[in-house]
Amino acid sequence: MIGYVCKYTPVEIIEAFGEKPVRLDPGYKSYEHAEALIHSNMCSFAKGVLENIIENNIEEVVLTACCDSIKRLYDVLKDKVKFIHLLDLPRKKGPLAIDLFYNEIIEFIEAYQAFKNKNFAEENLLKILESKSFNKDKQSTESIAILGARLKDDVIEKITNSCTAKVINFTCTGEQRVFNIEAKDNLLKSYAESLLNFTPCMRMAEDRSKLINKEFKGIIYNTIKFCDFYSYEYAELKSKADLPLLKVETDYNDSNSGQILTRIDAFLESTGIKKMEKQKTKKGYFVGVDSGSTSTNVVIIDENKDIISYSIIPTGPKALESAFKAFEIALKNAGLQERDITSIVATGYGRVSIPFADRIVTEITCHGKGAFFVDNAIRTVIDIGGQDSKVIRLDDSGNVIDFVMNDKCSAGTGRFLEVMARTLGISIEEMAKVQREVKENITITSMCTVFAESEVISLIAQNKDQRDIIHALNKSIASKAISLVDRIGRKGKYMMTGGVAKNQGVVYAIESRLGEKLIIPFEPQIIGALGAALISLEGK
Amino acid sequence: MDTVKIYTNIIKDNMNRPEKVNKLINFGLTAAYYYVSFFKDKRIPKSLHYLNKYSIKSIKDSLANPQNSAWVNLFAPSEFLIAMDIKPLFIEAYSSFMSGFFIEDYLIDTAESRGMSNTLCSYHKTFIGASELNILKKPKFMMTTSMICDANIPTFKYLSKKHGVPLYIIDIPYKYSKDSVVYVKKQLLEVAEKLEEVFNRKLDIDKLREVVKTENKIRALMKEYLNYAGEKRFIPTMTFEMYMLFASHVFIGSKEVLHFYEMLVEDIKRAPERSGKSIFFIHLLPIFEKNFKDYFNFSDKFHIAGSDLNYDFVDEIDENDPFKGIAEKLILNSFNGEINRKVARIKELIEKIKPDGIIQFCHLGCKQSMGGTFIIKNLASEVGIPFLYLDGDCVDKRNNQEGQNRTRLEAFLEML
Repeated sequence: MIGYVCKYTPVEIIEAFGEKPVRLDPGYKSYEHAEALIHSNMCSFAKGVLENIIENNIEEVVLTACCDSIKRLYDVLKDKVKFIHLLDLPRKKGPLAIDLFYNEIIEFIEAYQAFKNKNFAEENLLKILESKSFNKDKQSTESIAILGARLKDDVIEKITNSCTAKVINFTCTGEQRVFNIEAKDNLLKSYAESLLNFTPCMRMAEDRSKLINKEFKGIIYNTIKFCDFYSYEYAELKSKADLPLLKVETDYNDSNSGQILTRIDAFLESTGIKKMEKQKTKKGYFVGVDSGSTSTNVVIIDENKDIISYSIIPTGPKALESAFKAFEIALKNAGLQERDITSIVATGYGRVSIPFADRIVTEITCHGKGAFFVDNAIRTVIDIGGQDSKVIRLDDSGNVIDFVMNDKCSAGTGRFLEVMARTLGISIEEMAKVQREVKENITITSMCTVFAESEVISLIAQNKDQRDIIHALNKSIASKAISLVDRIGRKGKYMMTGGVAKNQGVVYAIESRLGEKLIIPFEPQIIGALGAALISLEGK
Repeated sequence: MDTVKIYTNIIKDNMNRPEKVNKLINFGLTAAYYYVSFFKDKRIPKSLHYLNKYSIKSIKDSLANPQNSAWVNLFAPSEFLIAMDIKPLFIEAYSSFMSGFFIEDYLIDTAESRGMSNTLCSYHKTFIGASELNILKKPKFMMTTSMICDANIPTFKYLSKKHGVPLYIIDIPYKYSKDSVVYVKKQLLEVAEKLEEVFNRKLDIDKLREVVKTENKIRALMKEYLNYAGEKRFIPTMTFEMYMLFASHVFIGSKEVLHFYEMLVEDIKRAPERSGKSIFFIHLLPIFEKNFKDYFNFSDKFHIAGSDLNYDFVDEIDENDPFKGIAEKLILNSFNGEINRKVARIKELIEKIKPDGIIQFCHLGCKQSMGGTFIIKNLASEVGIPFLYLDGDCVDKRNNQEGQNRTRLEAFLEML
């Protein structure tokens, strides 16, 4: 087998040698071997591939000079695998570029022939290319596009299975390797040209705007941490805002795919192409369970949408037990039995592990629903919970039309405040009381919880007033929230939900950055569960 | 509150008025120019003082006259611009100045709020932020090479689309061959054509030859300078080693840069003999990082012995066929191609300069640089010179963990 990563790799040459080309996937949660060989701030994809090669003892690797990270991956691997070859890859397409790439392919063939002591037969290549000949694909009327950096196959599969539209995959993993070789007299040159004619990736000089079809129902835009190429195109698409657009950011290992799938599901829900089971509206009592990372909240409503009872309990180590407990408390408060309940909708991080739920819906849709129900003038919901923060944009009918979530780190979330309260040696409730600075307007520069903590420790060491430090921390949370708001644009009225909305200092800091009052619901922690209960009632 | 802080606050308060910010930045640059002209620091050699003024002036000139200006990157072949009297503005320099004005945080946050990745190089994000806020007036042309830095093509494509300004991307192959020279030469001919069309003036080939001739003279002087760099203590602050990039890259080939190098060689001859410990830098110097400023600027104990980026090409360019010559220069840059090329250049330089230590400041987001850190570390241990790498940001000061870096830097310097 020969490992490769880039779609421009002459895979068919490898096959013509009778070898098996294997597209290398990282798929590792640790970079133990990789980080001993390459700087930890490199792209997680390149590190993951390096880890894979070392861990699985892959002996033959073919790379292209596609990006800085892969070029350095080559440098690092050079004396560590038995065969490694780097093909230079032009960024343009003209005849001279084709000549260059053709020479690169010849060089690769010669190098591999010498390494394997095996001859290359052009007729093998021709057969392979003919078997992959071009076949025009029928355009489906309704489609959704995935653009950006490569996305794991299983995520693509999940998207395909959970939506009603056709999924068009424009990432490099989606390239259908089809060829239409006309000039058979110079097969290798035609092959080089065909490869350069693949859907251009961002490192190419060619304009990619032709990929965007106005008829798309939406675009899922994937970016990988430390791979900065695609953020430009995302920024450009975002500024046009003529198509529903979802940005997902992964580090290409599967540890956070739960969060990613939440976003994707919510996006499919908001663009109306999510596969849904039809529900009949029934009478009785309806329950929403929001299983969050910090608290589990349950709301029970009746058929008139009146809140009968609710409960909020901390999510313990076992999300399921907490969900049962919160449900029981809410039932008890309402004076109801489980048999009185018509249907239950679960939401939040733990939503998939709640067996008594009839349906699961993402917390994004639920928060939007709940917030709009409480006040139908709300157009922006700022939800800051224990482990994530999100901003949701609603249209005039209360539908979610856009949203952004924080990156996977805890900066700007409730957890950030908890860590800081611990560092300051006070309770989170005491911390919540501080609104303004008393002596000095301090700014915490680090966004990262860990680094901000060391900054707080040095501020304590400098004998700064505790209230000024708390004020600085509130400003830090506000600044993160405002940057999320700015990513989807400002539009009032604003509602703040989630546990952090109970912190007056943070609310005040956000309001002063926003220049507008925030609507704080009577119980900001149950808005997601309320939304879930409403969806349970309405069946949609 | 110091003057710079007041100035920074005025700019930040006016960010929604791009025209005013543009004027404030021009004012800041003019003030800086006159400040260095009238308040000469006696510790700074004449040549570096001249370079300081020249660098500020070059930024000022291109900003003041956008219609005769082109946005470029550090590695773009500016020889054509110099020969046609077009003022280049290289984005890395502009971003450094904005960091000097303490407004990089605002510009970076703007770029990120528009969707730019937070791990993207801050030189690029700062420039994009300024462009998004329209505080940069659009130039007449943009030109970038694909080499060394992945961000160049997308940044320039983004800027060109946003402003509707023509862009020429020069694709530089990774490997050197006869064909790759032909490939680049053809593109350089196209660049020249495009420049003639956009600026509506002819490129005089003799003038281009003259520029290349000057460039060759400069490279000869650079080599002469390097002969003394191992014995003398010369560069007083990190900023000057970075200012040298104006002379070794974008403005190389200009008469002023030739004059600078002539003075530089004279100055280094007169400089005091080396004392204390000397540090050679890989890639960039963190000119705004407090620990480094404390330890290296105007220090008797530790001094800056140079950086490899200023010597990424040291050969002669073919004066008869400048298009071919420049194509070769671009492909053979020591930062282009396999890391072995860069390692070999560093080896040559440290053999000449004989530093006591080597530091690589891994600028966040720069994969080509940090990706080679461990290989350069191996080279340092082969030649027996202590090596330190530190992570941080040369532009966005918020990304510098001063406490952690201080311990590491101090331990390293103690080790020397």
